[in-house]
Amino acid sequence: MKRQKEDSQNHLSTEGINTKFLYLMHIHDSAFPIGTYTHSFGMETFIQEELIRTKDDLFHFLQVYLRENVAYTDGIFVKESYQEEDLAALIRLEKICDASKNAEETREASSMIGKQFVKAVLPVSDTPSLEKWNKLVQDKKVIAHFPIVYSLYAKDLVFDLYTTVLTFLYSSTVGLVHNAVRAIPLGQKAGIEVIHRLIPEMEKATLNVLDRDLSDLSNHAVGLELASMQHKYLRSRLFIS
Amino acid sequence: MDGKLDLHFALRNQKTIMKDVYYQPPLKASRGLYVDNPDDITVYLMESSGGLVAGDTNAYRIRLDEGTNVTLHPQAATKVYPAYNGKASKQEVHIELAEQACLTWKREEVIPFAESEFHSHTTVKMKNGSSFYWEEILYPGREKRGERFTFDTCHTQLEVWMEEDCLVYDGLRFKPSVQDVKQFGVMGDYHYIASVWIIDREIELNEEKWNHSSTDHQVSISRLRDYGYLVRFLSNDLPRVKKEMDQLGNKEAGTKE
Repeated sequence: MKRQKEDSQNHLSTEGINTKFLYLMHIHDSAFPIGTYTHSFGMETFIQEELIRTKDDLFHFLQVYLRENVAYTDGIFVKESYQEEDLAALIRLEKICDASKNAEETREASSMIGKQFVKAVLPVSDTPSLEKWNKLVQDKKVIAHFPIVYSLYAKDLVFDLYTTVLTFLYSSTVGLVHNAVRAIPLGQKAGIEVIHRLIPEMEKATLNVLDRDLSDLSNHAVGLELASMQHKYLRSRLFIS
Repeated sequence: MDGKLDLHFALRNQKTIMKDVYYQPPLKASRGLYVDNPDDITVYLMESSGGLVAGDTNAYRIRLDEGTNVTLHPQAATKVYPAYNGKASKQEVHIELAEQACLTWKREEVIPFAESEFHSHTTVKMKNGSSFYWEEILYPGREKRGERFTFDTCHTQLEVWMEEDCLVYDGLRFKPSVQDVKQFGVMGDYHYIASVWIIDREIELNEEKWNHSSTDHQVSISRLRDYGYLVRFLSNDLPRVKKEMDQLGNKEAGTKE
């Protein structure tokens, strides 16, 4: 733990930066147990409606998901919580995050993943902000939405804001690619191709997020919201959300 | 022009009355009408200018005292004219509900014309025992003129707070020139978005009834965290949206079937 802290705070050492990056690679490994493989955030409804059948369909869907959903919702919460120093304001921010997620399953998914994330990283990391937040979670004062706790963790590990937002967008999208590959189904090669095509999109979306603030929050991806609301009525489901 | 309308409702002998009215044209209120029963006052919100021209702001301040029961009815859709001078049109609504007060804001309709810019911000502060109903339809433009998402910007924001707790925080920000509005996941082939927010501890809806989907009309429902619902529509069938909104607005029919 001590070593991790030294690594993370060593700005000048390239070796330190590279080593530090392994912590992020680790938490974004698809085997990292935060439950992203059980959530589709409404995508499964589109797959069952056969709106997403091919790798091109999947790419276009996730491009829209990044541009019109994540970059106007969770991306902004990651950025705003990274920049917020005042605890009361951060708690208020999480309340807004919770209320802004209209679809019940998506709202639950965000807090389930957030709680799992805290549970997985706390015992092995030196993250004072996250520890403090976890006490508030236990006192039922906050919920542990994933964008908030992810941001607190990355900030404690002294990753910069750009990296924090970019890697959050990466994890939001890549998780969905893995799930789509199983649900459509598509071959592993198609999945890899989609992820590679999405990486420049993640960069663009991150730059957009950095230009935005709370007043830019927007649920205009209404089709996705309805797909998430309708998900619980699907006859058979692979995913919780 | 900057329109203003401040309404204050209070109880007198167990009857809701409009205690104070302050207005500045083009906004105006009708007198209070008792349509269904003496407990529930209905007031029509009137706008005499025919629409918002670039730079106009209409501001509403609505206050309900404890135990009052009020229905507000916009008399016409809000038409938003092009922002020729580069200035946006705005609407601001501030609502305060005391304990046991109930406010219904009937069908707020917004028609943003081509090249218009509109920002609307509605803030509601309510108490534990108060209830709030809000209905809204967002048009893609003047459809008969072929306008479909040809406005410049349309941004509506609804937030509802109960003391420190946030119950609703719903922004819809459209800027079609830089967004993929017509992709599925956003609007797809649909033209209208409609929303009904029901924040009332007493109301239980039959959720399955409000969940159906066809090529020109979709509706789905979601429970808010503690209580209350959002029923959201994506549709090309405006008469059907209005009909289903009326069914939801009928509080008797809305209780558990």
